[in-house]
Amino acid sequence: MSGLDEVYINGTMEHRLPQNLNISFAYVEGESLLMGINDIAVSSGSACTSATLEPSYVLKALGTGDDLAHSSIRFGLGRFNTDAEVDYVADRVIETVSRLRELSPLYEMAKEGIDLKSVKWAAE
Amino acid sequence: MSYSNKVIDHYNNPRNVGSMDKTSAEVGTGLVGAPECGDVMKLQIKVNPATNVIEDAKFKTFGCGSAIASSSLATEWVKGKTIDEALAIKNTEIVKELSLPPVKIHCSVLAEDAIRAAIGDWKKKQSASTPVPVEAKA
Repeated sequence: MSGLDEVYINGTMEHRLPQNLNISFAYVEGESLLMGINDIAVSSGSACTSATLEPSYVLKALGTGDDLAHSSIRFGLGRFNTDAEVDYVADRVIETVSRLRELSPLYEMAKEGIDLKSVKWAAE
Repeated sequence: MSYSNKVIDHYNNPRNVGSMDKTSAEVGTGLVGAPECGDVMKLQIKVNPATNVIEDAKFKTFGCGSAIASSSLATEWVKGKTIDEALAIKNTEIVKELSLPPVKIHCSVLAEDAIRAAIGDWKKKQSASTPVPVEAKA
């Protein structure tokens, strides 16, 4: 993932299941990312909340903010996955995140040096 | 969840992506939603002050495929319309056009809000920049 900036691994790299990876791609909404890599079986949020649009409460309990929780993808590896498949997924994710960031007003604002936390958002 | 073909088309080929100079008097900018809610839309319009016609529109959206599609469609619809015609666009028309399911109706509401916010910003600029008669000084 060195092809992208502002990528955050959720949870520790030491105390976790080896086949599980949960990553937040800042400024990109998780569901839109899934839609761009729809030939890959990954999930946004967690298995626990897959039926809802709510961000993962597990991530929130780990201290991930609501914003980054909306930008998370859960990758799971099985025993039959190959190195080539991992490379393929990495390429597709980088390509899609880059495309969606060009579409993201948040990425644009962050690049302009605006602190998104200081913005008074006009929520619904 | 399955997406309609129109949502997929807007997601794959979003129309009018980009940004305009938000400091320009002819440009109105609407920024609605919040990162914590998972949707933020920025919609900008460029209005001809003589005719009140929206000559150009651009958007950028952080959100799901339906949010991207709703705002992409909104830019298509407002282009060429007058301010008053654009204000008449209803979220229910977006829902219908994109066949949005009930859990995605908020995306259409946000797109309508974005149109209104952009127009509101433009109007504010117009009233601020209306030339006030000033007595000529010698």
